[in-house]
Amino acid sequence: MRKSRFPLFVTVGILVFFYLPIVIVIAQSFNSSRFGGAWKGFTLDWYVKLLTDRNIWHAITNTLIIASSSTAVSIVLGTLAAFALYRYKTKMQIGHNMLIYLPLVIPDILMGISLLLFFVSLKAGLGLFTIFLAHVTFSMSYVAMVVLGRFQDFDYSILEAALDLGASWGTAVRRILLPFLMPGIAAGGLLAFTLSMDDFVITFFVSGPDSTTLPLYIYSMMRHGSPSVINALSVILIALTFIIIFISKKLLEVRE
Amino acid sequence: MKKTILSAVLCAVMAGSVSMCGKAKKELHIFNWADYMNPKVIEKFEKENNCTVVMNYFDSNEALYAKLKAGAQGYDILFPSSYMSKIMYEQNMLREIDRSKLKNIRNIDTDFIARGLDPVMKYSVPYMVTYCGIAYNKKKVKNFKPSWSMYDRTDLKGRMTLLNDVREVIGAALKFNGYRYNTTDDTELQKAGDTVIRWKRNIAKFDVDEAKRGLSSGEFYLIQVYNGDALQIMGENEDIGFALPSEGTSISQDDFVIPVNSNNTEMAYRFINFMLDPVNSKDNMDFVYYLSPNKEAQKLMDKEFMSNPAINPSDEVLSKCDFLIDLGENNTKYSDLWDKIKSSK
Repeated sequence: MRKSRFPLFVTVGILVFFYLPIVIVIAQSFNSSRFGGAWKGFTLDWYVKLLTDRNIWHAITNTLIIASSSTAVSIVLGTLAAFALYRYKTKMQIGHNMLIYLPLVIPDILMGISLLLFFVSLKAGLGLFTIFLAHVTFSMSYVAMVVLGRFQDFDYSILEAALDLGASWGTAVRRILLPFLMPGIAAGGLLAFTLSMDDFVITFFVSGPDSTTLPLYIYSMMRHGSPSVINALSVILIALTFIIIFISKKLLEVRE
Repeated sequence: MKKTILSAVLCAVMAGSVSMCGKAKKELHIFNWADYMNPKVIEKFEKENNCTVVMNYFDSNEALYAKLKAGAQGYDILFPSSYMSKIMYEQNMLREIDRSKLKNIRNIDTDFIARGLDPVMKYSVPYMVTYCGIAYNKKKVKNFKPSWSMYDRTDLKGRMTLLNDVREVIGAALKFNGYRYNTTDDTELQKAGDTVIRWKRNIAKFDVDEAKRGLSSGEFYLIQVYNGDALQIMGENEDIGFALPSEGTSISQDDFVIPVNSNNTEMAYRFINFMLDPVNSKDNMDFVYYLSPNKEAQKLMDKEFMSNPAINPSDEVLSKCDFLIDLGENNTKYSDLWDKIKSSK
């Protein structure tokens, strides 16, 4: 029987669909045309401009501070929420489940404007902290959902067995629950990090003076700026991502 | 371990948000379009006034409005387009300008702004002026005429674009038929609508960003575009030309305005005054490639800049141009017509 070639075509098609845009971005970041249309010659100007523009760096710093802090907090809150949803099937948990789902389906614009009204009525000064709170609100739900998925495969009796055999709660959670959930937590954390990093709508509303994040800056550049600088930035981000993945793989290999 | 990292990160965030108020240097918070002011001029202002200018960015007038209307505060100067300044002023969101604090305001071309939305600078001070016009590929478009009638040329079919903007497109058709941009007359609008529907058969699409890229790469031959964008394309492709249609076109202006809840108005006035200084205004014009209605600064600009029709239109064309005014309830007449145009075959 001859093997069908269909899966091969689909695989190649999907790879092209996923990676061609990235290749184009990399190529365009060296294109001296500021619109990224036709090829106008090789240049490193965009990288120079990127490295010397203090506004962009300020925005990048803000973005990273918010993304890492909101990810850290939402990992903790999201995992706890998932545990509660998994363990307790009371009426209150049904409500809880709905509350966790809500930020996933609510339109960004609604969430942005309502958070802004909320902060304004509290007389809270808008800034990095309000963006952080807003990001935790939505990323927490994503983490909770991913971790909850992991929980579905978890056999609670293992934990009970550990407790029976004399482990304290802390030890049981640290030695059994957390290692089991780790892939889910890591996936949820990565999701939260990316979502926080590129959120525009909500961030726009809850940001205050001196808390411009990268997406806000990029959107605003559409009118007068040169998006090519952003191509250069994307290339650096892609490179960093690959390096991080490479290192983490190496580390895992060592452990095994 | 994890907890310590976590709390350290949290502390950093909190400290970051608190320290904003605790700095010794005065801060001026500006809400602007990205890349719309020469960073060197801003640095100069910071040095002279021993303060820090903090830039924040918005991406559309409507977003700016929505955000401030909902109560966001802490900004000292905003840069809305003049139609939005007017709406904001009417809703008591802006302070009136105390002209006595702006020594350099005498540099402003009063004849020009007299035609605008805030003719006596009651609540706004003009920063830059923009026009809508036609950019085209000189090699591909034979017998170019600076006129909206270009959109009736069937030999360019599929190679032209119009902006994706109700007022600009219907406005162009209104001008083509000899009417004004802000008309609310039904028969005039009807006629303009028919014109746009006719043009629609000749154009590739209604678009902004793709059109610019397409013109630069040779996909499109003729596009409706704002002058600043056209100049960027012309900067890297010599074949591109730009013209303001002889029938007239739309002018818009971006303003300096001070929101009611600014808590650093002294510094805000100093900043605006500083930017109206001829030399600083010139440096900004050189950077953003738009015309500032600043007479003294215009004298300092080089000839090439001032004689470029994409920057500084002739008085003859200018007299036929209109500022776009917000039409309030009559806006629906335009949006209804736009729906009809969009759904027509």
